[in-house]
Amino acid sequence: MSRILIVEDEQHLAEGLRFNLEAEGYQVQVVDTGEAALEMVRPEAPPFDVVILDVMLPGIDGFEVMTQMRHSGQFVPTLMLTARGHPDDILRGFAAGADDYLPKPFELAILIARISGLLRRREWLRASMNHSAEAPAGPDEAFTFGDKSMHFDRLELQVRGQVFPLTLMEANVLRYLIRHQGKTVSRKAMLEEVWGLHEDTDTRAIDNFIVRLRRYIEDDPTHPRHLLTVRGVGYRFVAESQP
Amino acid sequence: MIVAGRQKSIAFFIALGAGLICVIILLYVGWVLLNWRHGILLVLGTLLMAAIISGVVLNTIFLVREIRLNAQHDAFINAVTHELKTPIASIRLYLETLQTRAVDEARRLEFYRIMVDDSERLLGTIEQVLRTGRIGASRRRLNLSRIDLGGVVEQCVERLRAVHKVAPEALAYHPGPPVTIVGDAEEVRAAVSNLIDNAVKYSGNDVKVTVETANVNGKYVALRVTDHGPGIEKTELKRIFKRFYRVPGAVATRVKGTGLGLYIVRSVAKRHGGRAWAESEGPGHGATFVLQLPIVK
Repeated sequence: MSRILIVEDEQHLAEGLRFNLEAEGYQVQVVDTGEAALEMVRPEAPPFDVVILDVMLPGIDGFEVMTQMRHSGQFVPTLMLTARGHPDDILRGFAAGADDYLPKPFELAILIARISGLLRRREWLRASMNHSAEAPAGPDEAFTFGDKSMHFDRLELQVRGQVFPLTLMEANVLRYLIRHQGKTVSRKAMLEEVWGLHEDTDTRAIDNFIVRLRRYIEDDPTHPRHLLTVRGVGYRFVAESQP
Repeated sequence: MIVAGRQKSIAFFIALGAGLICVIILLYVGWVLLNWRHGILLVLGTLLMAAIISGVVLNTIFLVREIRLNAQHDAFINAVTHELKTPIASIRLYLETLQTRAVDEARRLEFYRIMVDDSERLLGTIEQVLRTGRIGASRRRLNLSRIDLGGVVEQCVERLRAVHKVAPEALAYHPGPPVTIVGDAEEVRAAVSNLIDNAVKYSGNDVKVTVETANVNGKYVALRVTDHGPGIEKTELKRIFKRFYRVPGAVATRVKGTGLGLYIVRSVAKRHGGRAWAESEGPGHGATFVLQLPIVK
């Protein structure tokens, strides 16, 4: 049974969510502060499969909780939920390490679909890790290019001795690009293959992931040498740094 | 991120203002030292310099105030957005739940109750914002009538006991001798209700609020609302009555609000020829809010 942590200080919303997610067959835990949430996701505590995180919390806010979780190496898929639907807030949520973001008020069906999407992604990642022998074309545990190496099993990127923890989605995007190295991949293809989305979603979300990945793997993110933009189409990954 | 940027810009402009004033004083002292023999010019120069310096100081103060006001305005928009969207999100969630799932009878009644609570909260926020708009339009005349203040307070106390689900001992009312005031019944009720509501909200889980009315010199009636909540810093006692102002820190993020309630209280008091103020021994010692209005015989 998948375990879900709800971090929400509005009691009515939290209880409504709990009722619905339990009806969907999930095991649900509710906490009402950011501090309590960080306590719940400690490595020694029983792990959660998805976290639903509100932004406006008493004490430390959701952005701070998200940042601290990722810094402490906690990469549980997280959906941020907030009344603030301003683009700056959404970008800030993703920059803090959120995997998904939904403004309030939300549609119940969409929220549930997104949660099951996050869980499905996690399952697929697990499955793809278990099948490394059958997929020699793709990097499943580690991939080295230049002086960087990506460890997909640990979701860690090593650059000259420095270790950057990546989120699950960042790692998935990078894995997909590396699998198709040398070839141009379109934004639409990435949405379909990495996110499993088939509708006409705003493809600029991908650009955000690329910006973040470049910050990790490029010496100069404004002049990328590994993760190249192909204008009007998408992106191309090259292992040997381009002059 | 945005807030940090604003702090920086304030610091820059204060530094700029202070720097310019220093330069002016330096130039001036130098000029006096060089020209101390020309008496009339010296006097004229002193006056001009004083004028320039006060101009720069005024300008800097104005700038900083505007930046602060802007920041408060942003915070207000955020708070109102949150206060409007959260109950709507909740109502919608429960409606969709009732629509899509089989819910047993007891749960269904519970959900209805939650939705009614949320619509009350929504209405409260909307009324607060609209009332602020009306008070801001100072030309609007008061709808004056004779009001029995004791009765208004009694009604407010009873309503808020029901809304916050607190026992009569937790929210106690000690009425003084009956008094009549002349005022706008709706505005006075809003002010009284805001004071009591704040006291209960900021008390947290352990509500111990006393409401009392007393005669002051036979001219005024004072409504005193005393709580045992988190208390207020001395420096904040005046500021909390400003429009949009909320005390920075954990308490204000725990207790949701728009920063309009006390502004309404103070405005209503002023419009009725009275005043409103807060007393507190400091953090941890609770607070007393007083609304004083003139009595008519």
